[in-house]
Amino acid sequence: MLRRAHVLVIFVCAALLGGALLACSFGFAQLSAPEQSQAERNLAIVVNQSNPVNELTMAELRRVFLGERGHWPNGRRITLVMLEPGWPERAAVLSSIYHMDETEFNNHFLHGLFTGEVFVSPKTLSTPEGARKFIFNVPGAIGYLRASDVDKTVKIIRIDERLPGDKGYKLHVPPREGR
Amino acid sequence: MGRERASRGEALRGTTTRPAETWGRFSRYSSALLLFFTFCAVAVVGLFVIRDLRRADKDQQKMYTGSVLSLHRIADLEYQTQETRRSTLYALSTADSNLHVKYADQSREADHLVSQGITAYLANARTRNELEIGRRLEQDWSTYLSVRDEVLASILEGSAKEAVDRDLTEGVESFDRVRQDLAEVERVYDQQASEQLSSVDATSRRTIIRVAGVLAITLIATIASVWTIQRIRMTGAIELAELQMEFVASVSHELRTPLAVISSAADNIADGVVKGGDDLRKYGAAIQNQSRQMMELVDQILLFSATKDRKSQVPLASLDVPEILHSVLQQTSDLVRASGFQIEVEIEPALPEARANAPGVARCLRNMVVNAVKYSGESRWIGVRASLSHSHLRGRREIQIAVRDRGIGIAKSELARVFEPFYRSPAVVAEQIHGTGLGLSLSKNIAEAMGGELTVQSELGSGSVFTLHLPILEDNPASELPPEARVDGTTEK
Repeated sequence: MLRRAHVLVIFVCAALLGGALLACSFGFAQLSAPEQSQAERNLAIVVNQSNPVNELTMAELRRVFLGERGHWPNGRRITLVMLEPGWPERAAVLSSIYHMDETEFNNHFLHGLFTGEVFVSPKTLSTPEGARKFIFNVPGAIGYLRASDVDKTVKIIRIDERLPGDKGYKLHVPPREGR
Repeated sequence: MGRERASRGEALRGTTTRPAETWGRFSRYSSALLLFFTFCAVAVVGLFVIRDLRRADKDQQKMYTGSVLSLHRIADLEYQTQETRRSTLYALSTADSNLHVKYADQSREADHLVSQGITAYLANARTRNELEIGRRLEQDWSTYLSVRDEVLASILEGSAKEAVDRDLTEGVESFDRVRQDLAEVERVYDQQASEQLSSVDATSRRTIIRVAGVLAITLIATIASVWTIQRIRMTGAIELAELQMEFVASVSHELRTPLAVISSAADNIADGVVKGGDDLRKYGAAIQNQSRQMMELVDQILLFSATKDRKSQVPLASLDVPEILHSVLQQTSDLVRASGFQIEVEIEPALPEARANAPGVARCLRNMVVNAVKYSGESRWIGVRASLSHSHLRGRREIQIAVRDRGIGIAKSELARVFEPFYRSPAVVAEQIHGTGLGLSLSKNIAEAMGGELTVQSELGSGSVFTLHLPILEDNPASELPPEARVDGTTEK
């Protein structure tokens, strides 16, 4: 009799646990879609995994992207990675970091390189995947990707102490609509 | 009549299988035996061949998987190391960052395959040398990859000169070390392949030698068997021919002596040398006596011929042993008396009746008594004893009639042949004791046809005892006798 009661209790507990797990997974599944959408809209600043820098202020980030800073603290040369014109990520960076349009951007680097005020010539990749691989291969590379395109091969750095998805994160990109 | 003896108190039964019969049977089955042995030999050879072929096959498979595949793997490894470096250097040929990434990907894919190959090599390494080479290769490859990563980074950063300088100063050197390691691995695989090839060669040579050896042994054994069988057959045939020649000579001699007497008597009568009734009766008696001897001899030959067929059976009936014994002694009394012999007869009282054929028993006993007279030498004594005994061999009671002499006896070496037809001892022939060699053989056949047997005990120089064993009637009632039993030349004439 006692044994039967134990079996019944175990069965009920197992059923409750299973139900809870099912409900949780269903709930997460419902939550993952907005999170995915959020990740697509956030623009992450990524560096090589070996880069010791974990965070930058928006001002420092702007200096780096403008080519006004040539090396990382570990002595590695900074390599700026840009996507080709037409990518929303590039437009977002031009808008949010450079505060320039394409023409101003080009003029800035042509002028800066000519005068020696700019130390870095940006490398232009045709796809986010290419950009990610480039950053993976170059220890001093820095670039930008949608948060949803980031994987373990690169490292996201905090901007103004915030990561993509954090409240108050300032870098965003329009949803992907294809080129 | 032949003379057959035994020696040193040994008993030899007439029914014992003779060597000639043994060889005869062997010869009959020799072909089957040869086939059987040949089949066994071929089967053994086949097993050897199959086993060695399987071993060679396994060795070859092992060699292929162990060496050829390894060499293939190492060749692939060499290719991928080259591909790693080649893809890196391809990146120098362009300023397009997208192509740089593409070449970097190719280089990394290749180096991933190389790392996998090195891991597999280390996993399969068994000797200490292989492990050392594998670890060194792993270390050198890791060093090269560090340089490669820097070179790639420089290329992707756009610093082609820096990339080239680094590749030339560090990359070439580290890559050469990797190539040397791979060459060493290849040498190890080559060495292993050579050793395994030598093993396969050795196995193959061993197989050939074994097969050749076993085939040679088989051939020699077969030739030896055939030769032995043929020799036995030929020897038997020669011996038989010799015996038959001796038989013909003996019979001729046995016939010639009485014929000479008859012829002389007839000549004397015809020439009128014989005068008076007494002389005529004397010559007539001589002719009659010699004619009976000739008749007896011819009868014996005919009887042997008839009883040679084992299927022959004799009609059996109750037999009073003392009566037949006295009758035989009466028949041979003239011979015994003329030879100056003394006969001691001992008949156990109240002997049961035997189940036998009277003429057959009479002939056996006559042969035994005549033999005793012929081969007693200087001794002039014969003992005859009839008794009831238990036969251990047959597990029943039987009547035994033994005829004993104190004569020359039989050598042990000849004991086995005493009942062979036509056989006569060389010693007997040398002493010019006449006979055909059929007497004991004939007696034995008759005894066996009656369900009895004839045995001999003898010791060289001490004499012999021939014993006729007869079944008694009580154990074998006459009603059980086969009605179809037929007379086959054993009737007294």
